[in-house]
Amino acid sequence: MQQLLSLFHPDQISIRHETRIAYSRDASRIHGECLAVVWPETIEDMIRLIGWAAETGNDLVPRGAGTGLCGGATPQNSVVIDSARLRQIGSIDIPANKIVVEAGVPLDLLNRHLKPFELFFPVIPGSHRSATIGGMIATNAAGLHAVRYGRIDEWVAEATLIDGKGIIHHLSAGDRGGIAGWEGITGMIVQAALHLTEIPQQRSLTLLCFDDLKGMLEEVAHLKANPSLSALEYINPQAAALVGWAAKHTLLAEFHSMDGKVEATIDMAAIWRARESLSARLTLAGFPISEDPQILPEAQESTLDWLAIQGIPVFGHLGVGIIHPRFLQGDPRILELYHRVSASGGQISGEHGMGLKKRQWASLAMKVKAQALKTQFDPQGVFNRGKLC
Amino acid sequence: MLIELLENPVCTECGLCREACPVFQIQQQEEFSPRGRAILGSAGIRTLVFYQCTLCRSCRVVCPIGHDPAGETLRAGLIEASIETPANQAMIANIREYGNPFGPLAEGEVPKTLTCC
Ligand SMILES: Cc1cc2nc3c(=O)[nH]c(=O)nc-3n(C[C@H](O)[C@H](O)[C@H](O)COP(=O)(O)OP(=O)(O)OC[C@H]3O[C@@H](n4cnc5c(N)ncnc54)[C@H](O)[C@@H]3O)c2cc1C
Ligand code: SF4
Ligand code: SF4
Repeated sequence: MQQLLSLFHPDQISIRHETRIAYSRDASRIHGECLAVVWPETIEDMIRLIGWAAETGNDLVPRGAGTGLCGGATPQNSVVIDSARLRQIGSIDIPANKIVVEAGVPLDLLNRHLKPFELFFPVIPGSHRSATIGGMIATNAAGLHAVRYGRIDEWVAEATLIDGKGIIHHLSAGDRGGIAGWEGITGMIVQAALHLTEIPQQRSLTLLCFDDLKGMLEEVAHLKANPSLSALEYINPQAAALVGWAAKHTLLAEFHSMDGKVEATIDMAAIWRARESLSARLTLAGFPISEDPQILPEAQESTLDWLAIQGIPVFGHLGVGIIHPRFLQGDPRILELYHRVSASGGQISGEHGMGLKKRQWASLAMKVKAQALKTQFDPQGVFNRGKLC
Repeated sequence: MLIELLENPVCTECGLCREACPVFQIQQQEEFSPRGRAILGSAGIRTLVFYQCTLCRSCRVVCPIGHDPAGETLRAGLIEASIETPANQAMIANIREYGNPFGPLAEGEVPKTLTCC
């Protein structure tokens, strides 16, 4: 560690006990040993750090806001690289609707910056207050408006990655396979050029409650045919009851039109706030483990029915089939859920990533792709060892 | 509002509050974020970090479950354990010796530093 300490300004590195404890876990609360934390400010800082890690055989763990829910940013006898000081926001290329930002820029900060220009970055995970652009790219984040805007990989024009050999890559839309969704195993994303879109002129939303799941899924299909649909969130009766709402199958549908019943900004904000508080409230209610399967439309009725019969609280982005069933730690039904999802052609991780939590369930295809990327970008295994698969 | 903001002693460590914290904005290190403090507090660590909180409660306002960082309680624990910053010690010594937190002052002299915790 002495050698590492000598490579950085004392403000840019910490081996203090307090720092190492605070960085020992992400929002999944899966914890591990953090040896040190480095706050790079330049590409040269990164290259020095990578050189040291390659020489000494240490593991480097990229970290954004640490809102990840699968232990992707959890160190395992590792040095954590915190992107918190990579916060520059470049000027907006108005004709092209593009902007270049550093990886540590939090999403809400970016969107506040864009608001006066009537533009926004539309990939919005529930963690938007803190989640960083780098962390979102590394997990290929989806989120609250994925039904309209898809995942972040569709919005990255170019990303700058420093790989495990210390080589700088400017990966464009065509060759960004080494970045989006690879959870920091290929290197550290330091900057990205992002596509932007106009803030919608109109917005409204509707809350719909159903006793019967089949009827609700018919309404889902109907709502998805509306071209102005911009969010379609689901809350099951168990989750609704746990947070004090009517125990029904509930849909929150948002439109970029006046098709919804709630039009006042203040009322819409209150409904969204309530929806976004669900995750923390279900943790408090005794269900801290958040799963994130993506379920094909044809399997949604049987899966949601099984979850409801089991009494498992669920909410999520049903518009794109990503749901968040909540469990107690070690609940054997988590494995049953994985089997059901895989057997019906779905993905066991729809948006949070595999991290440490799900690595043993990575598919063969994912393992083969990850191995090929490791060989290309990080043959010495400097970055995020033992993650993803 | 569908959900009332509750005062809540439990932190779920989601990290949604860190950008609201003025101290985190300056330090940009997790141990100075509300979540970092909660992690340190739950690990039973007594640290000077707890003095670096403005007690503004911005974190509680943005927290989806209204977690209260209990800054005063954490500090009270430090004082009980006689853990003080040098500034803190100087202030108390000055009050004891000179009857003011600034130290010796000539008649009409304006203090140049405000020594505080
Ligand atoms: C309340 C709550 C709601 C959430 N809602 C959603 C949601 O709706 N949709 C969704 O997709 N996710 C959601 N998440 C999960 C999480 O917020 C996202 O995965 C987010 O994109 C992570 O960003 P972060 O900056 O916190 O990354 P971190 O948690 O710090 O890191 C996540 C992963 O990315 C890697 N990484 C981070 N920064 C970099 C970088 N600069 N270069 C390379 N690798 C990097 C890390 O090593 C790790 O593997 C939610 C989490 C919470 C707590
Ligand atoms: S009360 Fe303390 S921890 Fe919370 S936001 Fe204010 S300074 Fe930060
Ligand atoms: S204080 Fe609230 S918002 Fe902050 S990490 Fe804890 S639960 Fe999340």
